[in-house]
Amino acid sequence: MSAMRASDMNIKGEVVAMLGFAGAAVTLWLGMMWAPSVSISAFKAPDAQRIFYWHVPSAWAAMIAFGLLFIGSIYWFFKRSDWAWRLHVASSEAGLATGLMCVWSGCIWGAAEWGVPWDWTDVRLNTFAILTLLSLYLVMGRRSQPDGVETRDTFAAFGMFGFALVPLTYIATRLWQIRHPGPVVATSEGSLNSDMSIVLFLGAISFTTLTVGYVMAGMRLTKLEMRLEELQGQYEERMK
Amino acid sequence: MSGQTYLTVAYLGMIGALALWTWTVFARSKTLQNKIDSLEKALARDESE
Repeated sequence: MSAMRASDMNIKGEVVAMLGFAGAAVTLWLGMMWAPSVSISAFKAPDAQRIFYWHVPSAWAAMIAFGLLFIGSIYWFFKRSDWAWRLHVASSEAGLATGLMCVWSGCIWGAAEWGVPWDWTDVRLNTFAILTLLSLYLVMGRRSQPDGVETRDTFAAFGMFGFALVPLTYIATRLWQIRHPGPVVATSEGSLNSDMSIVLFLGAISFTTLTVGYVMAGMRLTKLEMRLEELQGQYEERMK
Repeated sequence: MSGQTYLTVAYLGMIGALALWTWTVFARSKTLQNKIDSLEKALARDESE
C-alpha cells in the first residue's frame, strides 16, 4: 500500500514538472513570435528583449525555490524532520536549475543590450549569482559528503543564512539601480502592455509549476536514495 | 555570428538545458527504483533460503 502511494506521488511530480516545462516552452515561443516588440528607441537590442518572458519567470521561480530551501533548512535545524531535509535537498536542486536559467538568460540579454554579459558592480546581478552558487554548493556538497546529522546541519545553516540574500536581491534595483533594469510591472510609471502581461503571466505560472514539480520529484528522489542506502546497509550486514 | 543566429542558438540552448535537467530527474528516479527493486528481491531471496 505504501509502495503504491509513493509511486503515485512520483507520477504526480513528473506530471507537474512536464506541465511546467511545456508551459515554459510555450512561453518562449510566444515571447519570440507573438508578443509585441518593444520600442526600438528604448532598447539597443529590441529582439533580445524578448528573453524577458523567460528571464523574469525563471528568477521568480528561483526565489520560490530559495524560499522553500529556507523553510526546509530551518525546519530541519530545529525539528530534525526527514521531510524538511528532503525539502531542503529538493529545493536546492530546483533553485539551481531555475537560478542557472535566470543567470544564463540574463547574460544573453546583457551581451546583446549592454555589450557585456556581466557587470561586477551591479548589486542585483551579484547577489542573485551568489544565491545560485549557494544552491550549487549545496547540491555538490551533499553529493560529495557522507549523509549524517552534522553534514545536514552544516548545509541547513547555509540554507538559512543564505536566505538573507533573497530580500536583498529583491530590493537591490530599488536601492541601487546600476545596470539591471528596475521593476516594470505595476509601477508608478505604468505597467506592461496587456499582450506582454499575458505572456509574462503564462511564464510565471509555468516556471512556478515547473519548480513545484521539481521539488515534488526531488523529495521523492531523496526518499528513494535514503531507502536505497538503508537496503544497501542491510545487504552488507547479511554478506558479512 | 549574426544577432538573430546568436539569439536562436541561445534560446535553443536554454530550452534544451531545461529539457535535459527535467529528463535527468526522471532518469534518476527510474535508476534508483530499479536498484531498490533488485536489492529488495535479493534480500527476500536470502530470507527464504
